[in-house]
Amino acid sequence: MAALCDPPGSGSPPRAPLSPQDLSQELKAFLTGSDPTLGTPLSPPDHARCALRLLRRLPAARHAVLQHLAGLFDDHVCAHLRLRSEIPPNPPSNPLLLPPPAPSALTEVIHEAQRLLLAFIKAKPNAWAPLLASWAVELLGQLSSKYSGRHGARGLNELLQLWMSCEATRTLMDIYAQCLAALIASCPDACVDALLDTSVQHSPHFDWVVAHIGGSFPGTIISRVLSCGLKDFCAHGDAAAAAAGGGADKRVPKLASVVGILGHLASRHGASIKQELLRMFHEGLAPGQHKGTVPFLLQLALMSPPLLGTVAAELVESLKPSVLNQLHQRFSPLPRDELDSTVALLVRLICQTSAGAFRTLQFLLDTAMPASVITQPGLALHDGVREACDRLVALLLLQLQKSVHNRPSASLADGPQRCVPFLEALRGRVAELCAETLRLERKRYLWQHQLLGLLAVYAAPHGAPEALFHLLASAKGQDELALATQLHAVLAASLADLPGSTAALCVRQIHAGALAAPQLAQLLHNLALVVANEDVNEPASLGAQLAPALVLHLPELAQLLLHPSADAAEAAALLLCSLPAPRCLRPAQLHAALRAAVHHFFLALRRAGGAGLCHAARLLEKLSAVTPSAGRAALQLLVEGALRGGNAELFGGAAPGAEAEADGGTKSKPAASLLDTNRRFTAAVDFSAGVWSVFHAGVIGHGLKAPPGSPALGEEEVNRNTHAFLGVLLRCCRVAEPAPPPVPCIGPEAAKTVASALVDSVCPAAAAAAGGELCWPPEEQARSTVERDLGILRRFRQQPLLFPLLRVVAMGRPALCYCSVLLRGLLATLMAHWDACRDGETTASPWHLQASCALVACMAEGSLLPPVLGEVQELFPRLAPFEVRLLLLSVWEYLREHSPLPQRFSFQPHRGLFQRDFAREGDPGKYLVALHGVLHRNVDRLGLLAGRFRS
Amino acid sequence: MSDIRHSLLRRDALSAAKEVLYHLDIYFSSQLQSAPLPLVDKGPAELLEEFLFQVPKERGAPPKRLNSLQELQLLEIMCNYFQEQTKDSVRQIIFSSLFSPQGNKADDNRMALLGKLVSMAVAVCRVPVLECAAFWLQRTPAVFCVRLAQALVDDYCNLVPGSIQTLKQIFSASPRFCCQFITAVTALYDLSSDDLIPPSDLLELIVSWIFEDPRLILITFLNTPIAANLPIGFLELTPLTGLIRWCVKAPLAYKRRKKASLSNGHPTSKIAKDSTEGDDGDCHQLYSKLHLSVLQVLMMLQGHLTEKNLYGRLGLIPFDHVVPLVEEINRLSDELNPLNASKEIELALDRLAQALQVAMASGALLCTRDDLRTVCSRLPHNNLLQLVISGPVQQPAHSALPPGFYPHIHTPPLGYPAHAAHPALPAHPALPAHPVQTFIPGMTFPYRPIR
Repeated sequence: MAALCDPPGSGSPPRAPLSPQDLSQELKAFLTGSDPTLGTPLSPPDHARCALRLLRRLPAARHAVLQHLAGLFDDHVCAHLRLRSEIPPNPPSNPLLLPPPAPSALTEVIHEAQRLLLAFIKAKPNAWAPLLASWAVELLGQLSSKYSGRHGARGLNELLQLWMSCEATRTLMDIYAQCLAALIASCPDACVDALLDTSVQHSPHFDWVVAHIGGSFPGTIISRVLSCGLKDFCAHGDAAAAAAGGGADKRVPKLASVVGILGHLASRHGASIKQELLRMFHEGLAPGQHKGTVPFLLQLALMSPPLLGTVAAELVESLKPSVLNQLHQRFSPLPRDELDSTVALLVRLICQTSAGAFRTLQFLLDTAMPASVITQPGLALHDGVREACDRLVALLLLQLQKSVHNRPSASLADGPQRCVPFLEALRGRVAELCAETLRLERKRYLWQHQLLGLLAVYAAPHGAPEALFHLLASAKGQDELALATQLHAVLAASLADLPGSTAALCVRQIHAGALAAPQLAQLLHNLALVVANEDVNEPASLGAQLAPALVLHLPELAQLLLHPSADAAEAAALLLCSLPAPRCLRPAQLHAALRAAVHHFFLALRRAGGAGLCHAARLLEKLSAVTPSAGRAALQLLVEGALRGGNAELFGGAAPGAEAEADGGTKSKPAASLLDTNRRFTAAVDFSAGVWSVFHAGVIGHGLKAPPGSPALGEEEVNRNTHAFLGVLLRCCRVAEPAPPPVPCIGPEAAKTVASALVDSVCPAAAAAAGGELCWPPEEQARSTVERDLGILRRFRQQPLLFPLLRVVAMGRPALCYCSVLLRGLLATLMAHWDACRDGETTASPWHLQASCALVACMAEGSLLPPVLGEVQELFPRLAPFEVRLLLLSVWEYLREHSPLPQRFSFQPHRGLFQRDFAREGDPGKYLVALHGVLHRNVDRLGLLAGRFRS
Repeated sequence: MSDIRHSLLRRDALSAAKEVLYHLDIYFSSQLQSAPLPLVDKGPAELLEEFLFQVPKERGAPPKRLNSLQELQLLEIMCNYFQEQTKDSVRQIIFSSLFSPQGNKADDNRMALLGKLVSMAVAVCRVPVLECAAFWLQRTPAVFCVRLAQALVDDYCNLVPGSIQTLKQIFSASPRFCCQFITAVTALYDLSSDDLIPPSDLLELIVSWIFEDPRLILITFLNTPIAANLPIGFLELTPLTGLIRWCVKAPLAYKRRKKASLSNGHPTSKIAKDSTEGDDGDCHQLYSKLHLSVLQVLMMLQGHLTEKNLYGRLGLIPFDHVVPLVEEINRLSDELNPLNASKEIELALDRLAQALQVAMASGALLCTRDDLRTVCSRLPHNNLLQLVISGPVQQPAHSALPPGFYPHIHTPPLGYPAHAAHPALPAHPALPAHPVQTFIPGMTFPYRPIR
């Protein structure tokens, strides 16, 4: 109090002696601005001091004094700015960082005024603080606006620096802060109201004040600004709330300034703003509170995206059934149009929501879902809430549709021009959305499906394929798959080349390993289903368009045939079957596909009884038909595969050269075999029959080598497998030929391929010279090739499949010639066997008997032997071994004289096949001598047959 | 008048206001010369409202507002005018034509300007203005008087620290104004809520004034021709009722405020608490002093009433005002009862009893003991009060007093009246089943009224 009586530095006389007469003199001096006794004008500092004295003595004059002081502050600011601009910015440093000017007389007076006012605030806060706060803030606003064009400071920070370096404005700021601090415990509404009003009036220039004060009193400013805003919003009436969707901004002027202030504070005090907003929301719901709270918050959020972003996520979390019911209670009595506008506002807000958009969506859908029969624990939702939410979702979808489709058309290609934050945030959630849609929950999936469509259009060009991919990958069953086709139907109009990009995306995803095996199988299966369902009448359907797109990716898809998972491989086969034939494919790609298909075929065979077998077969057939060379390759691969390694077991055989590894290699196969892997990708490598190979009957001291174990498969299975294999082989043969011969026969080219494959496989050493050895040498020379011949015999013995294959070759007429090596080796070894055989009956060595019969029959079929000679095998079971040898010898003789050359065959155009005319080749009689001799010798038993073998 | 208006319209706000004052002066001076009681017709009043109080006459016309500086200039001009106007009658009529409430929308501006004018007059000690204001306070409905009092209290007690001294000085300049001011202030601060407890500065000021010269209270009463029926809705002739209310209710009201601040849980620091307690202690002293002065004035009153031949005819302390006072005490003591406020209740009731007794004895309060008994029956027990309402048994033999001095209070205590004695009294017949104030008829007390 003592300080008040005599403020230091004021130089005024002590107050007590000041009589009323003196006071009226002072008043006169203040009003006229001149010394009452001398009549000379007062200097501004003196005038101001006079005003301060009046302030202390004459309460009625306080407004006038404050007005005068306002002028004083204005002058000071003006002078300050002039001083600043006069000093050239010679040092290139920031011109705002000037050394503070020397304290002028004006500055001193300002300090005096500050001291006095602060003392007043301290002594009587309730009376002075509201008055001075609004005075200071208004003056700050005026000054900020008035000099906004003169200081050249840019940005909030520069402004702050500039104004805080000015004595007058800093003083005012200090006064305001003190007022706020003095009232902060009781009721700072008056101060904050003044701040808001001024902020409305001088908005952009005044921001620095708000920022500074907000930074000093964040808690108070946030809550008070909000409550003042709410009060103002409510005061402007329900009319504003009704028009909240439209131009409410003008009617609620403080709202803009609330938004601005909170925007300033959001960066540093976001958490407390969020807390405050949520608190307000929940308090506003309590009964008895003003019902403007919720519309106010909505409006606020609409005007300030950052605020919305801060609050949205947590708000959704807090919307429990009880809160929702409260909301419903609060809003249900409102008139219809008001509700409509609120809903429209909500829709706009949701469209703006970015953070937590997916969560918001889930919440809306959950709430809008019709109640299930099973009641959930907890508070039940009011039906009205559900209906409202239902409506909200519908409108939201409508609004999204509008905003998606109203974008400039170019944007579909150029990327989004008008951003819809809600959709933007959902872009990354397509997979989850698809998965939820596929659950086919009532109503919900319809909304989600629609949303997927919108999202796809919005996120063009990547969104749509992605959505389709996810749907295709996870759909199970026709119902769910229909969602994908429906989505395509929706989008086909607006997005070009959707199937193409979908197919590409699927393939990319597969190759990136994004899918687990079961999903992969599902995807392939679904693709196959879609493609297979193509409707001829609808060229625009997904299936019809997807098929050609997928064909382009055939090489990649074919690799999936090799997928470790059987399901996936089978699904791949199914898909590839369903696809149309590829138009143009590089041979290498085709070959790789073929190899994969063949491998898959054998795997399918091995899996015995799978439905996959027929797809595998169809696939092979389809691929073989692509080009003639593809057909040949397929045949070759099939034969090679069938005779090789483990596959041989399928047909009741043992692998060639597998004796070495037979002990462990084939029986307990390791999980991953390098050899096996190699075989998938490269042609067979067989080192078994080199010159260095040694065959032996066992290791000395260990006794004879154990005979190979009985075949793993039963006879029936072997037959079935053989049948299946031959079926495929024959079908491939047929399609590989441009003009296949009538049914029982097969094309010569195909047969030739099979023949060479056989030779390659059984006797690789001979294959190199195969062409040259078509001619048969004298029988004696066979001794030079005895090792090779034994090898051939062993192969035939090990692999029962070889004889049917020979038959196949024989049916493609001249082709058996190319198997001469095999025939010769087999014949030579058999002859040697019979020669050495000491049994009385041929039936004592059944396999040799059977082989001899099959060999001769085969050669007859292949037209290598003339009719009578080709039928001698019928006698074999009833003859003695040496007699068989004699007959075989005469066969050899015939072949030596009439070498089995393709030139001996001629094409018969009318029958479409090659035939050999034995009549032109001379009489075969001399080769029948041995036959007749044998017949004679056994005439008692074979007399009945003599007629049959008469030439 | 309309040509004057047109010329005024062309001027700026300040000079127009000055011009209006000038014209008004001329108008009333000439009127007064022709008739002793001039009629204030509508013309000048409208001019005043338009140009002095800035109420736009036409809708949509932009109001010319004086800014604060111009307003201050205007105030100074007015002050000087009243100072220099020598004729009392002209001054009075101009003041009342300026500031009498008209019941229209100019009243707010009118009252604001009046507040500032009087506040300024206090500061620069313009006696004529204060006299006019005192007169105005007498003839204006109490609601407006209270507003003026509020403005002055705000200016001198709540705003500038230490400025109360300025207000104190006018005691010597215009006691009449001081008296009216006290009446208005007691009407304003009736202690009915915590906000309506007088500021301690104000209390000290008033106590110091009255203590210096208790007759200050009676100045208006003594200098005014009295009509027997006091008009309703105006300030009372004396602040006596209000001051009694202050003294009686103060202990309870302060206790209640303390309780409220405690229960609000304001973390008052120890120092602040001590200071308020010290403050309250000072205030209790002041109320004691005030009570003494009031009793002294009441004692004096008897003579003045007799002088004016109003004894027994004019109740300066209307019984109508005592009833609500008792009820409030009753309510407050109920409210505070659980709080060990017995000391405060005792003090309040003691003061009430003393004031009632002395007021009745001096003829300022006109009522029977039966009335009093009915009114006070529900109050908590207090020995003194019981004595007062049961009345003296002995017939006093005061030869100095005229006969029939106590006629109205000498009804013998014959039990409870069957009906409510006062029509204003709420119907709560004191049932014998649970009387708080036990009354034993025929009991004798060695009691005489104080002199």
